[in-house]
Amino acid sequence: MEPLKFLSDEDVKAMHEATLHIMSEVGLIWTHKSSLDILLGAGCTIKNNRVCMPRDLVEDCIAKANKRPVIRGRNGQVNELGGGNLYFHNLGGARDVFDAKTGTRRIATDQDVINATRVLDALPNCHTVTPFFTPQDVPGELMSLFMYRHSIPHTVKPLQGPGIQFAEEVKYAVEMAHVIGTPANELTLSLSPVSPLTIHDPAAAAIVEMAKAGVICANLPAPTGGATSPMTITGSLVQQSAETLALLVLAQIVNPGCGIVYCGRLGMLEPRTGLIWGGVELGMSSAATVQLGHYYGFSVNVYGFSTNAHTLDAQNAFERGLNASIPALAGADELSGIGEMEAGVMGSYAQMVLDNELVGSVMRLRKGLSADSAHLAVDIIENVMNGTRNFLGQRHTLNHLKAGEIALTKLAERNSWETWEDKLDRKQMADYAANEAERILREHQVPPLEPQQEKELDRIMAAAEKEMVRKK
Amino acid sequence: MSEELYKEMAQSIIDGDSDIAIELAKRSIELNMHPLETITKGFVIGVNYIGDQFGLGEAFLPELVMAGEAMKAAVAVLEPELLKLGEAREMLGKVVLATVEGDIHEIGKTLVGTMLSASGFEVVDLGVDQPSEKIIGKALEINADIIGMSALLTTTMVRQREVIEELDKEGLRPRIKVMVGGAPITRDWVTKIKADGYSEDAIGAVKIAKDLVGKGDQ
Repeated sequence: MEPLKFLSDEDVKAMHEATLHIMSEVGLIWTHKSSLDILLGAGCTIKNNRVCMPRDLVEDCIAKANKRPVIRGRNGQVNELGGGNLYFHNLGGARDVFDAKTGTRRIATDQDVINATRVLDALPNCHTVTPFFTPQDVPGELMSLFMYRHSIPHTVKPLQGPGIQFAEEVKYAVEMAHVIGTPANELTLSLSPVSPLTIHDPAAAAIVEMAKAGVICANLPAPTGGATSPMTITGSLVQQSAETLALLVLAQIVNPGCGIVYCGRLGMLEPRTGLIWGGVELGMSSAATVQLGHYYGFSVNVYGFSTNAHTLDAQNAFERGLNASIPALAGADELSGIGEMEAGVMGSYAQMVLDNELVGSVMRLRKGLSADSAHLAVDIIENVMNGTRNFLGQRHTLNHLKAGEIALTKLAERNSWETWEDKLDRKQMADYAANEAERILREHQVPPLEPQQEKELDRIMAAAEKEMVRKK
Repeated sequence: MSEELYKEMAQSIIDGDSDIAIELAKRSIELNMHPLETITKGFVIGVNYIGDQFGLGEAFLPELVMAGEAMKAAVAVLEPELLKLGEAREMLGKVVLATVEGDIHEIGKTLVGTMLSASGFEVVDLGVDQPSEKIIGKALEINADIIGMSALLTTTMVRQREVIEELDKEGLRPRIKVMVGGAPITRDWVTKIKADGYSEDAIGAVKIAKDLVGKGDQ
């Protein structure tokens, strides 16, 4: 189907021009000496203490980037990003776990890092796994590597690297990926610049390391419209694009041709609570990010499932349904957010299962409608009118039902009131999801790593701890 | 006469209009109004009003920021006059603010700083990415009543505990109180790390700070 567009071709061009103007005339705060020297050597200049990137350099770097990277799982599953498919992955970096059965929350533990990975491994519509929870007892410096290390053994799907903060993390992440046979150019790592337009020293240093190692840079600018970027969504998207392209420029100078995923994580400010807003503007800005990224030929990864809700309630369902559907219809290559709640600070196992079901509907939506002769079914209508006047017994009906003309879900409640009340004990979709999550945790088996691989991962973590954790 | 001017002053803060606030502050000096009364009967009324409205969900964050900025601008005009009179605005307490090490997000913290100083605290804002020794060092240097720490990331919030542990080790609590804040901060976290107070927003932070220095009624 034709992708959904919020912007005309002229709008997109105007945003591209505005982005280049911001990068070449306004510039970015960039103080990290050695990477700054690399940029200045490539023709960047300093103005008002900010680094300005000439238009030609930016466009040249965009042209050089590998825009179709692939990521691969232990099971051999390959996600070809930018090839026209849509891949879903989960939220990364949640603090709390929502217990759908009791309606309470608790702080995520080490075990939740493992359990989340196992549940996501079991859910067929989660195509890529990202380390989910941030257990609070892990030292901050080691958090990302810890999350990655304890996710690796519990999924065979493509595992995205964690969001990192420091250059030192890169080599350990690459080493760990190597243990399960993932080459650096099939590993994605992400870091977030600081909005507005600030590349802080650790981020700059980390980008150099990422590029040198040849990992796929899937950086995540995360401006907040109204606070760290303009209140207007297109203005925020221009700034966001400048932030992500600035990191791309450095990466492409250091290692021309390294893989890039164009990501956007623009959220809007809730002006009364100060929190990130999961309203429908999130879906709109994600869709527009897709349009802008596709203009350059990148594969695009944006927010998908996303809500501010604290429970599995009506707000949750309509916010995440809209926010995943809109960018999916715009042609997103990857959507995040499986399992997400409360604007990303919380996750739940039941939510993961619910989102797995929702993906089915989103995929159906994206497949669109066909009006070929098989679908117009004129001969079938004629046959039926000449015969039984009933489509139920038609082979055509069964064939197209099986071919996915309607997306059937396992969890949505579609019975009569009587059945629902008398036989199903008034259970709702969320109840089934919570049960299913428990079943998966009880039964799902992931092929373990070889003992030697586990040992190797421990060795790498010990080395990382030695280098990175500050001695008290 | 001055009643009317007080009202205009409060309104300039509510409107977040620094230019008018400065203008009114200058006029009060020309009229020989007492600078302290100008602050407390005029401008502060506006700050309190906008804070209350925010608490009710009727005012937006940008209005809070602009009100705080206008307050700062007005006080900057009046402070030299106070000094001339040999007086100073009675400060509610001294606060050292910082975003913890490894974290470079500052919008929330800066807003807390603005509202604290608009409400009568002396605030030293160290900025972002501040190691515990710097935060504690500054608190000792200025004899601070409160340390306020911000963290935006789940990966950096753990640093708040480091500072508190360090303070405990040095025996500096309860003399120095600790407030924490930031998007990932929860009540449970605050209890776990034994901080003295936290708030979800800048207006709440002012209230907590007042309580911590025993001036909750002001």
